[in-house]
Amino acid sequence: MTAAERTESTSSEGRIATTLETIDSQRAALYAVLLGLIAFYLSPLWGGLTTAFKTQTGFVQTTPLAPPTPEWFTLEPWELAFATMQGGLVNSLLFVVPATILSALFGSLAAYGLTKLSWRGQIGILVLFLAGVFLPYQSVLVPLRQFWSAVDLAGLLAFAPFLANRADLIELTVTHTAYGIPICTILFRSYYKTLDDEMIEAAKIDGASAFGIYKRIVLPLSMPMFAVTLIYQFTQVWNDLLFALVLVTSRSNYVVTQSLNELQGSMAQEYNIQMAGAFIAALPTILIYVVFGRQFAKGITGAS
Amino acid sequence: MATLTLENVTKRFADGDDEIVAVDDVSIEIDDGEFLVLVGPSGCGKSTTLRMVAGLETISEGAIAIDDEIINDVPAQRRDIAMVFQSYALYPHMTVRENMRFGLEESTDLDAETMDGSVERTAELLEIEELLDRKPGELSGGQQQRVALGRAIVRDPAVFLMDEPLSNLDAKLRAGMRMELQRLQNELDVTTVYVTHDQTEAMTMGDRIAILDGGRLQQVATPLECYHRPRNLFVAGFIGEPSMNFFDATLEGDELLLEGTELSYPLSASIREELEGETELVLGVRPEDVEIAAESTDDHAFPVTVDVVEPMGNENNLLATFEGSELSVNAIVDGMRHVEAGQRYAARLPESAIHLFDRSSGRALHNRRIDDEEKLLETRV
Repeated sequence: MTAAERTESTSSEGRIATTLETIDSQRAALYAVLLGLIAFYLSPLWGGLTTAFKTQTGFVQTTPLAPPTPEWFTLEPWELAFATMQGGLVNSLLFVVPATILSALFGSLAAYGLTKLSWRGQIGILVLFLAGVFLPYQSVLVPLRQFWSAVDLAGLLAFAPFLANRADLIELTVTHTAYGIPICTILFRSYYKTLDDEMIEAAKIDGASAFGIYKRIVLPLSMPMFAVTLIYQFTQVWNDLLFALVLVTSRSNYVVTQSLNELQGSMAQEYNIQMAGAFIAALPTILIYVVFGRQFAKGITGAS
Repeated sequence: MATLTLENVTKRFADGDDEIVAVDDVSIEIDDGEFLVLVGPSGCGKSTTLRMVAGLETISEGAIAIDDEIINDVPAQRRDIAMVFQSYALYPHMTVRENMRFGLEESTDLDAETMDGSVERTAELLEIEELLDRKPGELSGGQQQRVALGRAIVRDPAVFLMDEPLSNLDAKLRAGMRMELQRLQNELDVTTVYVTHDQTEAMTMGDRIAILDGGRLQQVATPLECYHRPRNLFVAGFIGEPSMNFFDATLEGDELLLEGTELSYPLSASIREELEGETELVLGVRPEDVEIAAESTDDHAFPVTVDVVEPMGNENNLLATFEGSELSVNAIVDGMRHVEAGQRYAARLPESAIHLFDRSSGRALHNRRIDDEEKLLETRV
């Protein structure tokens, strides 16, 4: 090795060492920032969780982020919250599941008609669907209440007392289904536009009717998008309080968001019970994410 | 088993306020069991024509009939045709068996056993039995192609339509499938319309080929007739690879003056008589008919400089320039012969092999001489 070569190799080693150092310090800084962000975003959740396991005195005497000590540890808030919300959970499930499935199904059908079938005036209809996406809940509250006052659903269902008693929930189902159709249609439409037109034509030549093609080709291929809309709609409808406040009149039909609201004491705020209630109310949406998570990822990345 | 008739079929598309005529007054009669290839450059209307037959496009004017029944208003679902698409268009969520059964389930009332029987027989014919329980995503391009064919064959339709079915395969596989498709078509004897932009496929596969350009039918004839007796300049240039050489030429007395050169090409009286008095002409000669010799020996041979030699093994493709001009000519010589780029040779354009076209209309006025004409042109694949 000549002198010149030697100097070159040392200097290049030096460069590598400096590069490694900068990478390391950069990486350390990156992790520090990430950890900070995680702590920042998780702290409310953590605070809620610790509070839910503390007695009222424990809550008053410790900071919210401190974990419950054995002295103040209790499951009572969970039991109390669950006892109050039990009925609401059942009622919510009763209307959220059909509303979610129906809006996804109708949205998918409408999107199929707007992408893979040809007929006049599609653009006009599509514009209506798009407008529907942007209608705020608040703007329809009054007409909505008036509509359901005009339609005496309980009277119409008088022949079946079980349904008549649940008329509020059926109203919620219909309302949320109608309200969810536009966004579901737009979501499915973007997905169906990527489906191969030649495949639809092949099915047509194979003798399948328009509905046959939907049932046997389009619907089975829509599962990833169904996961997306089911998760999205379930969360939206489950978490809604506004429509429930306007439409649900009888206490026996209170939905989960209303029963969560009931946990608010009139005199003293029992934060531990409220926190436990919030977690109970959120549990089903989290479960839905876990169950449909993989399909959801497929759906939003467009893989089929 | 059916004949397919296209009568003055026209397709217009609205393009804003304008109208585009995609297919212009096309009439073709396709015999029972015939293999017709629709060929032309992209945008010539061949796919639109096929899609009208399939029922995927409406017909603006004219009529399409299977046997003697006009099917203009019959929806695609009830036309008794099967189609193979360029993208194969298999149903990705179904197994090969389900893909092939789908058409039977939707279009017939057969019982499950009969359907399974047909699917299995067809799979055997195409040698894809072992793929029946796999999904399209697990198959290679060539295998998907076979499944797409199988899906069409199993239906046992009156007419087969194929839209560039081989264009997604690699060259080797394509040559193999070309032969296989012909074998199948012979065996099944189903009337077939095959669309392609590839003139080799058109030449080798079709009983007859129909050449389209700009929505208009240029010629319908057997492959060899199109090759040796092109009806116009477009057909002459489109069929054949490498393409025919064209030279603008003007008739003066008994000689053709090649434009852009000082060269004159003597024309015999019998050919001059066919020219119907036209003097503004295009002289055409196929590369394989151009004779390359060391020295010019008669008045149909002209000195050239060879610019490029493309050795193909079995033959050499040459590009040569006429001396004293910029006009170049393509020639094919035997692969065993040595031709040196940059050297001078003589290119002879034999009078028996020339074609002459009217320059303004493109119409063929004279086609090459063929010795055993009947025998050659009657050849059907």
